[in-house]
Amino acid sequence: MATIIINGQEHTLPEGEKLNAIQMAKRVGVDIPYYCWHPALSVVANCRMCEIEVGSKDPKTGEIKMIPKLVPGCQTPAKDLTVIVTDSAKVKEHQRMIMEFLLINHPLDCPVCDQAGECGLQDYSYEYGQSNHRFIEERIVNPRKDVSSAIQLNQDRCIMCTRCVRFTREISQTGELQVMNRGNHAEIDVFPGHPVDNPLAGNVVDLCPVGALLDKDFLHKQRAWFLSKHDSVCTRCSTGCNISAEENRGQLWRFKPRFNPQVNDYWICDEGRYSYKAANDPALLSAMYLRQNNDLQPAPIDQALKTVGETLGRIAAAGDITAGVLSPFLTVEEAYLMASYIKGLNAANILALGPVPTQGHDRTFTPDQVKGRNGDTSFIVPRPFTIHAEKCPNRKGVEAILEHFQGEVITWGDFEGRAALGDFKAAYVASDAIDPWIDNERAASLRSKVEYLVVQDTTVTPLAERADVVLAGATFAEKAGCYVNANGRLQYSEAALPPRDGSLPDLDVFAILLHRAGGPVRSQEILAELAEAVPAFRAVAGGRVPEFGVSITEPARVGVAPFPFNDPWNESRVQVGAKNA
Amino acid sequence: MRADDPHLKRLTPPTLTISEKFFLPQIAAGLAVTAKHMFGVVFKDKAFTVQYPEQQEIQVGQPVNLRTSAVYRGVHRLNKDEQGRVKCVACMLCATACPAHCIDIVGATAPETWPDREKYCESFVIDELRCIYCGMCEEACPVEAIELTGLYDLTGLSREQMIFDKTKLLSVFDVTKEGEPMRFGQPPRPEITPPTALAAPDTTATNP
Repeated sequence: MATIIINGQEHTLPEGEKLNAIQMAKRVGVDIPYYCWHPALSVVANCRMCEIEVGSKDPKTGEIKMIPKLVPGCQTPAKDLTVIVTDSAKVKEHQRMIMEFLLINHPLDCPVCDQAGECGLQDYSYEYGQSNHRFIEERIVNPRKDVSSAIQLNQDRCIMCTRCVRFTREISQTGELQVMNRGNHAEIDVFPGHPVDNPLAGNVVDLCPVGALLDKDFLHKQRAWFLSKHDSVCTRCSTGCNISAEENRGQLWRFKPRFNPQVNDYWICDEGRYSYKAANDPALLSAMYLRQNNDLQPAPIDQALKTVGETLGRIAAAGDITAGVLSPFLTVEEAYLMASYIKGLNAANILALGPVPTQGHDRTFTPDQVKGRNGDTSFIVPRPFTIHAEKCPNRKGVEAILEHFQGEVITWGDFEGRAALGDFKAAYVASDAIDPWIDNERAASLRSKVEYLVVQDTTVTPLAERADVVLAGATFAEKAGCYVNANGRLQYSEAALPPRDGSLPDLDVFAILLHRAGGPVRSQEILAELAEAVPAFRAVAGGRVPEFGVSITEPARVGVAPFPFNDPWNESRVQVGAKNA
Repeated sequence: MRADDPHLKRLTPPTLTISEKFFLPQIAAGLAVTAKHMFGVVFKDKAFTVQYPEQQEIQVGQPVNLRTSAVYRGVHRLNKDEQGRVKCVACMLCATACPAHCIDIVGATAPETWPDREKYCESFVIDELRCIYCGMCEEACPVEAIELTGLYDLTGLSREQMIFDKTKLLSVFDVTKEGEPMRFGQPPRPEITPPTALAAPDTTATNP
């Protein structure tokens, strides 16, 4: 155990933890401002914002010796008997000078800058800066430039913290960005013909503490303070990256990564980042449909559900078999309720796993602790980041539920084979897949083999066109629930949007079909039931999911929980001027 | 504040005299003021009111009223710059400041031909019915693009007519720029705007 003295107060740090002065101070509620430091990147100490007074206390005499000059906090390890002073006049004057220096050439265009509201310069200028500007000479004006087809660089806003450069060198290991020229003329740029187009490129926009690197997809669309953030999980692949889904006026505007040391560290891939667009698609199913006179007619939600319940009940009463298809896009709660419903109708009913979309190969980025980095890297915990080829969020979770209910997992291929033999009287296919998942030919052959077909989906697919009943389900943004990622980690995802008009979240659909009592169903109560009923989900007893998720395949590891660390300018959750118009 | 707070100062109402207790002298004094005004209106033509809407012109020399006040907050306008482009840069600070949530802006990247601008407003809509005319939007605007004019006779035949889009807000600028010059980059506007300049066609502001 180490004792660290911060501003005259003694604090203890448990054995085995390596923190620098910024992290240690933050843990005890003292803010040391910084720009260039990032917990996952090597330390360069070039913004000079985190400079503090550092010294050490003699364990025998109790005498404190301070280093005469200020020292960067990001380079100062929080060792035993380290003395840190962050509130002296010397430190405050230094912070004021650094702010003035960084703002010498910074344009005053906060009103049109997308970073405004979540900007390190804005926040620190307010907290540590000064209100006047003594630089009367012409400011350097650099033209806007593109560093890739998705990212724009406004060089005049840049403060040369080089976080983006270090990211492309150390995490994506592609090294597209570098610092060109020196001194006052230094700028970030790419080599001609080598844009920042690696699969993790979008993270440099999140890393940028100011508005220099901008996402063209989000450019000039919304102001940061209008967006409500929802702690969600990316459903684009089976990694299950933690994201913050940001919404305003019933529409998603962007995904930003959320720190989870067990899954995605601080990053998300570009494919996941832009997958939010699927939730804004105007072509999403906006009503339930019933087949009447050989044509699908829009029907009220209650009528559609009543028809499904009555027809499937009649088929079960006649002793015929209904097959339920659970897609890997369903949450575990939805899968559990659907499996209970189908098996509850007739114990001989069959449950199958829906098609598992795959694309390409898994791609893993493995940052090294030392290679490609500079300075003291002993504080960095390198964590690999994988983009999975399996483009669905919950195959493992649905499989665990299928195994519990019928002891085996029937794949989509096997299901199609058995359906072709005429094994099933009716089929209930719940999909919610993001991409088109079935072609006309397969949909026609499946349709011809079952007498009654219910399709629950978010988009109009060839199978939905041929179904007897089409139920409009919820997109990934509209449903709350848990997903089990490729490593068996169960994580909770908040709903970011309310259900679309004419649709009903899948959990409610199954709850109504099951005639569950007790009003609108909550995912937490279903998860609690699931944890009791299915041994594989014991880890989430009571429906409580820890912040970083919980592994359902391996026993919980005992150890020091990683301390979540976010840049202070991204932490504000205050929402101003929320609109309901 | 507690009831026994030492800073509390207790006041006792003044005691009334006998004549005050009857209230009759006070009523008579009040009626005298009313009579004085009635006399002024009938014999001396000193009415404070006008026969609106028949009479809209304010005679010079009359007290400053709504129509001629330089600080009156009426219909909004979107200012144009010297090249006739909308000054708004779509920063949405007016929409943020608006307590009635009546401003809706869609921002977009400025065209290549506007080198001085990074962003402009693709659409700018104000719901004049929802607006409370508090003037927070012109307070918040960093580029003096939105201003409230002296136009007060805002009428329309439907709710849709009262939702002003960018074109209409720019046309309000065109009809009011003579009488009410922009407050930024131009001489400050006069304390009392000449009524003749304001006799601009009000119908432009209310009919699409």
